[in-house]
Amino acid sequence: MKKILETFLGILTAMGGFVEIGELTFTVNAGSKFHYRLLWVMMLGTIGIMVFCEMAGRIAAVRKLPVFQIVRERTGFSLGLLTLVSASAVCLLTCAAEIGAIAMIWQLLSGWPYRALILLALAFLLLSVWFLSFRWIERVFGLGGLLLIVYIVTALKLAPDWGTLAAGLVPTLPDRGSGQLTVYAFFAVALLSSIMLPYETYFYASGGIEDEWKPSDITLNRVIVLIGFTLGALLSVSLLVLGSEFFGAREIEIARPGSAALAPAWQLGQHGLLIALLGMFFAFAGAAIETALSAAYNLAQFFGWPWGKHRAPAQAPRFALCWIVVFVLAALVVSTGVDPVQVVEYSIVFSIVILPLTYLPLMLVAGDKRVMGQHVNGPLAATLGWGYFVIITLAAIAAIPLMILTHGGEG
Amino acid sequence: MSRRHLGLACEVLDHELVDSDGLPCGMVDDVELAGDLGSSLKVTALLVGPGAWGPRLPALLRLLVRLVWGARRTRVPWAEVEHVAERVHLRSRATELGLGVRERKARRWIAWIPLNEHEPQ
Repeated sequence: MKKILETFLGILTAMGGFVEIGELTFTVNAGSKFHYRLLWVMMLGTIGIMVFCEMAGRIAAVRKLPVFQIVRERTGFSLGLLTLVSASAVCLLTCAAEIGAIAMIWQLLSGWPYRALILLALAFLLLSVWFLSFRWIERVFGLGGLLLIVYIVTALKLAPDWGTLAAGLVPTLPDRGSGQLTVYAFFAVALLSSIMLPYETYFYASGGIEDEWKPSDITLNRVIVLIGFTLGALLSVSLLVLGSEFFGAREIEIARPGSAALAPAWQLGQHGLLIALLGMFFAFAGAAIETALSAAYNLAQFFGWPWGKHRAPAQAPRFALCWIVVFVLAALVVSTGVDPVQVVEYSIVFSIVILPLTYLPLMLVAGDKRVMGQHVNGPLAATLGWGYFVIITLAAIAAIPLMILTHGGEG
Repeated sequence: MSRRHLGLACEVLDHELVDSDGLPCGMVDDVELAGDLGSSLKVTALLVGPGAWGPRLPALLRLLVRLVWGARRTRVPWAEVEHVAERVHLRSRATELGLGVRERKARRWIAWIPLNEHEPQ
């Protein structure tokens, strides 16, 4: 019974924690610009994050090895350090964007000054991580993020043409002569990156070790990844529908995260608006915590410090100082007045650039029979794993040139 | 260096060190080898700290590491190694081996924050 409850909660928290500010803005704007033409990228990304997290979770369950310990062991100190610095910078930028987005949501609800709300958000996040255990952080913010189901309800009420939506699963290019090809390519890469954010894997694998996963938890890992992420992807698809049917039809481009709540407000009234804003708050706060903790996990695992939320801060002091510093720096970044949506655009593009550097070492360990024994990658995991390595490497090479060519997707 | 010792050096380099209490206490940042000309080399100690990992970086970064983190290097004699698996397990506690110095300094900072000893529920 306990196992069933744990699996059920795992699925729900994986679903509720699937969407964050980057995915929200890119998906809605992708729907607004290209309707359902990028649905295939979302499917590709969802299967990709399943493959990536399943491997990381399996390694954590079998060998208790977290991501950055593997990165250092397999790629050596210098390349590992480069990966660590890049991953920490991306975590910091993403955390900054999430804090800015929380302040914007609170501003919509309260009308208070933005910078004061950044400070309040910082205090809220620091206290939450200080006092809550890993399990409760997952539950509170993952389950709170489920309020985003209001977007699925809104999407259903908008009654999309299901045939056109399903046709989006087959890759098609924009109309010839529209001059939108590079923008389409940029959105494809950014959308893939926003779904396959590397910090999710750092957090997921470290979480498996925090939750003391054993080899017998491999099934739990697979069920959470397969069902939880599929349900999370449904949330993303509903955002694409909103982008196409609501924002695209009115030629609105989302410049602020709270704008996404306009669609539920239009369809469901004041209650829809409040539920959407609350859901976004939980999702963004959860992502802010995940990114700050991920940066601390990575540093501690790379240098061999005691780490984990299961330890009191005094027992893992450098780990605790790291996540505190990440939160403070992230709040300082957004306090400068920089637009959180722009910050997240950069962090998403750089995320895909560094993704192969953490993906490859995991692939090597998951496919190493000496390390994994009977739990080594099977033919399906190996084929998918290497296939995705090629895809993300191509996307990583194309990401920065596409960002420059399209001026960050503006065309 | 014999193939066996080369293998051993590769097996422990960049692996986590765990002390006799089961606590992580650093990484194997470098290994110390000993041996005469013509004879095989042996791993005699594990080296830990910025003074051990700094020299593995390109010249400019080496200088930066020295300026920011110093050149502290802790030597853990090979005799202190109990066994090698995914992690390198040591026979003694980190404090007895001179490891985890910065961890203890960081603890003093954390001690300023109330309820730093509580284990989150």
